[in-house]
Amino acid sequence: MTEPGSTAVLLIVFGALMAASVFFSRALNRLGVPVVLLFLALGILGGSEGLGGIEFNNYELAFRLGTIALVLILFDGGLNTAHSSLRRSILPAGILATVGVLGTAALLAVIARLLGLDWKYAILLGAIVSSTDAAAVFAVLRGGNIRVKERVRSTLEVESCVNDPMAVILTVAAVQFASTQTPIGLQLLVEIPVQLIIGAIVGLAVGYGTRWLLNVMTISTGGLFPVATLASAFLAYGLATLAYGSGFLSVFVAAAVLGNGPLPYKAGLTRVHDAIAWFSQVSMFLMLGLLVYPSQLIPVSGTGLLLGLALAFLARPIVVTLCLLPFRWPWREVSFTSWVGIRGAVPIVLATFPVMAGIPGSEQLFHLVFFVVVISALITGVSLVPLTKRMKLAEPNAPISPVALEMNSLRRMHGEVRVYHIDPSLAVCGVRLSQIRFPEESAAILIVRGDHLLAARGNTTLEAGDHVYVFCRPEDRPFIELLFGQTISQ
Amino acid sequence: MKLCDIVSRDAIVAGLQSSTRDEVVAELVDALVRAGKVASNIREEIIASVLERERKGSTGFGKGVAIPHVKQKGVKGMVAAVGVSESGIDFNALDKQPVYSVFLLISPAEDPEQHLRAMEVIFKNLSQDNFRRFLRQATQVDDVWTLLTDADDQQLPA
Repeated sequence: MTEPGSTAVLLIVFGALMAASVFFSRALNRLGVPVVLLFLALGILGGSEGLGGIEFNNYELAFRLGTIALVLILFDGGLNTAHSSLRRSILPAGILATVGVLGTAALLAVIARLLGLDWKYAILLGAIVSSTDAAAVFAVLRGGNIRVKERVRSTLEVESCVNDPMAVILTVAAVQFASTQTPIGLQLLVEIPVQLIIGAIVGLAVGYGTRWLLNVMTISTGGLFPVATLASAFLAYGLATLAYGSGFLSVFVAAAVLGNGPLPYKAGLTRVHDAIAWFSQVSMFLMLGLLVYPSQLIPVSGTGLLLGLALAFLARPIVVTLCLLPFRWPWREVSFTSWVGIRGAVPIVLATFPVMAGIPGSEQLFHLVFFVVVISALITGVSLVPLTKRMKLAEPNAPISPVALEMNSLRRMHGEVRVYHIDPSLAVCGVRLSQIRFPEESAAILIVRGDHLLAARGNTTLEAGDHVYVFCRPEDRPFIELLFGQTISQ
Repeated sequence: MKLCDIVSRDAIVAGLQSSTRDEVVAELVDALVRAGKVASNIREEIIASVLERERKGSTGFGKGVAIPHVKQKGVKGMVAAVGVSESGIDFNALDKQPVYSVFLLISPAEDPEQHLRAMEVIFKNLSQDNFRRFLRQATQVDDVWTLLTDADDQQLPA
């Protein structure tokens, strides 16, 4: 078919796949199945052996687009990771993301060898599936069905954001070993910290640099702010990678610096990056699904199933338990952390490395990795909600307000709009607004009660279940939160 | 409203023994029970309610102080206990720093406005640098009580 016809057909097929992904995601979320699996399945359905008939086996392009998508997903993850979560969880998460990844890779390689794989494939497989997936972990932990205990949740989230670099380093070394028989030596123990340190330094520099620029520059159009932050995400990855550092870590660090500091147009930026991350996730999994040939999945299904189970029930639990020993966490929290080792896009993208390096048999390995990822996501996703309740790790989740009222300022302004959920235990529940002595420069501005929007007037009595929007100066926040409880995200 | 009208002198614990948030809340509720301000049969209920409120957001609002509070059915009058900790307690405070001085406020559920007024009075005093400093340094019940009475004397009529 000639242009523009072929482009039109391509856009129709992709449009239909993306629309189907969005349409079915809610139903799947209710079942606890990570939505990413739906995107993968739809990708397979659209592929050359499915209904769509799209012929796609360009691993280089898949790697490039996959990397861009991961950069955008990690950037969004960093932007939404609060400094307090980072501080609380960086030690356990850091150990899981380094020693834990190394241990999981080694243990899984041994298991794969015992299952009959050659050492070179066993080592490759171990390295490729060693890291948990930020997109999948965020999707199941923030899916809205349940709120997992803060310490466990932030450790799992931060771990998933900072463990990809380690998996990349190990995979590159494993590919080298498989293609040139270069032994994986002690130099790796030096390379790993060096790459992580360089990545972190570049990320800090890009993050603080972007923050400074955005605050001093006069940008007249709100739409240009996300362009600037996107530039920062790409620069963080590119500069760190060229400087022999970890690009993924750099992206996460840069985003965390931006997300935790004062930024103009912040609410708008967060929304745009959230949408970009979802778009990246849908497109990436659809594309990775297209790369898969169901006919090639069948021969590896037996080994894939065993490896997936070994990863979930053996390798990860052993490694996580050992890594968390020094922190003396209760066994319930350790077991839960062991369980939520969801694999996702990173292993599938990493599985394109050996294919691109021309290692014989690597396409089969790609399909094996795919199988392990699906098993991991499926068993963890489906069991997550019942397990959280059974292990008593669920925390009460303040209901999300049906209204988003945000302030988007092109310049840095002194003040913010915060939303609070009124619980009977709060001091302000049952009192009239006029009875609350708000600080001089702060005030309640809107109340959402059920489906009604109420103007905040003095004679309005706050009732349990209300969402109250308060405009407040940062310095008034301690008093406001003493009366209204913790602010909730919109 | 004055601090001395709210705080029970017999429920001032100048040297808190507990080291965790939950234990401190229990220790201060016990002080109020011993002072005869709270009936012993609702002790558990009060502790659970105070901790439930903490789960909605820490009442440690920064600078080493916290005001755990509850509006409770079955309580006759408003009352507060004060605790001072030498080693500091992790209250998951807004500034993530340990808490050294704790005001535990218990009010009848029927009078939310009085509860709010008392919170404001305690907050206003704890916002003063000098008040916080002297409270943290207090080692005797009398030190705390003198500080409260002095603060009341300096308070401008509302």
